[in-house]
Amino acid sequence: MLIKYEFIKILRKKSTMIVMAVSLLLTAFLFGLPILQYQTYNINGVLKGSEGIAYTKDQYKDVSVPITDEYVEKTITEYQKLFENPDNVGYDGSEKFLIGNAYWSFVAPREKQLGMIASAYDSPDENSGFNKLPELDLTNGAKFYQARNEKVESLLNTPSRELSAKQKEYWSNMSSKVETPLQYGYHEGWEIIMSSFELLMFALLAVCIVIAPVFSGEYQTGTDAVILSGKYGKTKLATAKIISSMLFGILAFTLHVIVAFGLPLAAFGTDGYILPLQIAGITIPYPFTFLQATLINLGVIYLVLLAMIGLTLLLSAKMKSPYLVLVVLVPVLFIPLFLSPNGTTGAYNLTLFLLPYRSVMPEIGKYISYQIGGLVLDALSMRAILYTILTAVMLPLARLGFKKHQVA
Amino acid sequence: MLLSIGHLIFYAYVKYIREDYCMQLQLKNLCKQYGTKCAVNHVNASLSPGVYGLLGANGAGKTTLMRMICGILKPSSGSICLNGKSIEELGERYYSHLGYMPQDFGFYPDFTAREFMLYMAAVKGLDAKTAKQRTEHLLHMVNLQDVANKKVKSYSGGMKQRLGIAQAELNHPSILILDEPTAGLDPKERVRFRNLISDFAKEKIVILSTHIVSDVSYIADYILMMKSGQFLLGEPMETVTDHIKGKVWEILIDNREVSKYSRDFSVVNLHHENNMVRLRIVSDTTPAADAITVEPSLEDLFLYHFGEDAQSERSDDYVD
Repeated sequence: MLIKYEFIKILRKKSTMIVMAVSLLLTAFLFGLPILQYQTYNINGVLKGSEGIAYTKDQYKDVSVPITDEYVEKTITEYQKLFENPDNVGYDGSEKFLIGNAYWSFVAPREKQLGMIASAYDSPDENSGFNKLPELDLTNGAKFYQARNEKVESLLNTPSRELSAKQKEYWSNMSSKVETPLQYGYHEGWEIIMSSFELLMFALLAVCIVIAPVFSGEYQTGTDAVILSGKYGKTKLATAKIISSMLFGILAFTLHVIVAFGLPLAAFGTDGYILPLQIAGITIPYPFTFLQATLINLGVIYLVLLAMIGLTLLLSAKMKSPYLVLVVLVPVLFIPLFLSPNGTTGAYNLTLFLLPYRSVMPEIGKYISYQIGGLVLDALSMRAILYTILTAVMLPLARLGFKKHQVA
Repeated sequence: MLLSIGHLIFYAYVKYIREDYCMQLQLKNLCKQYGTKCAVNHVNASLSPGVYGLLGANGAGKTTLMRMICGILKPSSGSICLNGKSIEELGERYYSHLGYMPQDFGFYPDFTAREFMLYMAAVKGLDAKTAKQRTEHLLHMVNLQDVANKKVKSYSGGMKQRLGIAQAELNHPSILILDEPTAGLDPKERVRFRNLISDFAKEKIVILSTHIVSDVSYIADYILMMKSGQFLLGEPMETVTDHIKGKVWEILIDNREVSKYSRDFSVVNLHHENNMVRLRIVSDTTPAADAITVEPSLEDLFLYHFGEDAQSERSDDYVD
């Protein structure tokens, strides 16, 4: 009964409705932007919006195949053959590229796929585009997956990464679990979601704004005296407030997630959910499909959400005004936005990758790992553990804070 | 065997009834310190069922004392016990005995009065059926049943005060703490409120804090007077004014002498009679040879102890 009333108290506030409406609109706008801005080209010019999406989908039909070594060899050979004809080659002063019919008939339909194939042959600090393809020696075959594995190994051995033997072993093991040959296909909607997770920070902030007055609002309006002197004021009521806040937070955030994911998936389609992440980044070590990666990162984000609700409630129980709660909370959530990592190791970077803003980003291709003794944890696992612990610590503290509150 | 279980249940019931009936709320050496300021200073009292009028000027420590009794403010030292057990030890068992109407407490503006009552009933641990029954009964008692579905934000001050006392009474408390319940009410509302309190007060420890003397004089059984965080006196209503017997005077003077007497004495009342003025004065010594002693009232007692503070409060009351 108390949970029901506390939930109603949150929902009934005009500010709740306003904050939720604004944040839903903002989320819809931010996740809808890639749809509005989407454009592709065909031989006749620019194709925008749904027309462009339909054209891209159609282009993928012929290249949605397993990326076998044979397929890679055949594709590169074809590319090299086209390159041998000087009429097909353009030069902009720094690099050569296919032009005209060779471009529109061969490169354009598989531009992303060619980029993915070419990236396997680049060194870790290199991004040569298709430049290497014409000169690639195919005498002994394409050895595409061998090239990928070598690139992963060389990434792990980059001195600036300062990875321990244990960490290298951890990543090598994980990377070796990637199933080959990779199945290629259309995955535009999922790629947009994977690259836009951080935009959910606004939804997270909105939830925190709404629940900031859960305890401090009682102190501010003077209802604390009457509820704390009730039989369950210091016991079940505090628990009911926490549960209803959690419930509201989860429901409100889920609504945002539905809007955030629903828009790109409705526009670009759900195609590609079963495809491996490596077709979007060949050195990604996680052996997941787009759907699995999305759900796993979403799971981590929910844990971040719960911890932030815990922090908000703790501050709310300790502070006399919801505004003071937000004065502390907003910097915690958004200061990391202005802090850039300068690598993937060292206390600064490793801490930065665990802060709320960075923690909602999957960062699946950065090989960020944490070693505690002999135990190696990747960023996703570390975040999951950290935010679970924070939630478990902060919620009882929030309850205690309310229980010990002095009406003065 | 059955007989002995029956006996046990009976004795437990009798013990429960007796505990409630012979309830003793003890304040033991209670202190509350804010920095160097002592808001409540070594207060001792043992309260049994009855209506206690807690009188004192603003800042005397009444609200601080009441908050400590309600367990929402921790004493700096000392303890509060119910029937010998400290309220910390009793926990929920103590709070289930308690009804509290704080001064100027907030409501949830988006709740209707009925929802607020049901919410408070849940906080007080009432089951759903009892909560509904008590809510309807009390809303009827405080004459809010017709507007029970209106949002509290649309209520007048008097209606909010009535809702405040109704929520305090939800759990049939045996200790009812009312902090300035009549503040801000017009005279008609104040009378209505006094009657409500009298109705609720039966067989309870009721502590009614106010600086409006007339409110307690009608309904209090005992008077507790507080000054600078300490109890100045605690007496039954019938005998509380005995202390100042022979110290309350009436004198008929010329209009021009009023300022002189007002400067030299505590003037409780001033009444114009033709060209003369009748003054009521509280003073240890006779203000004039022709002054006559009169029966002291609670207001005289208040003025006797609080002097200038009381005078200013009286003018505040007039503004109210």
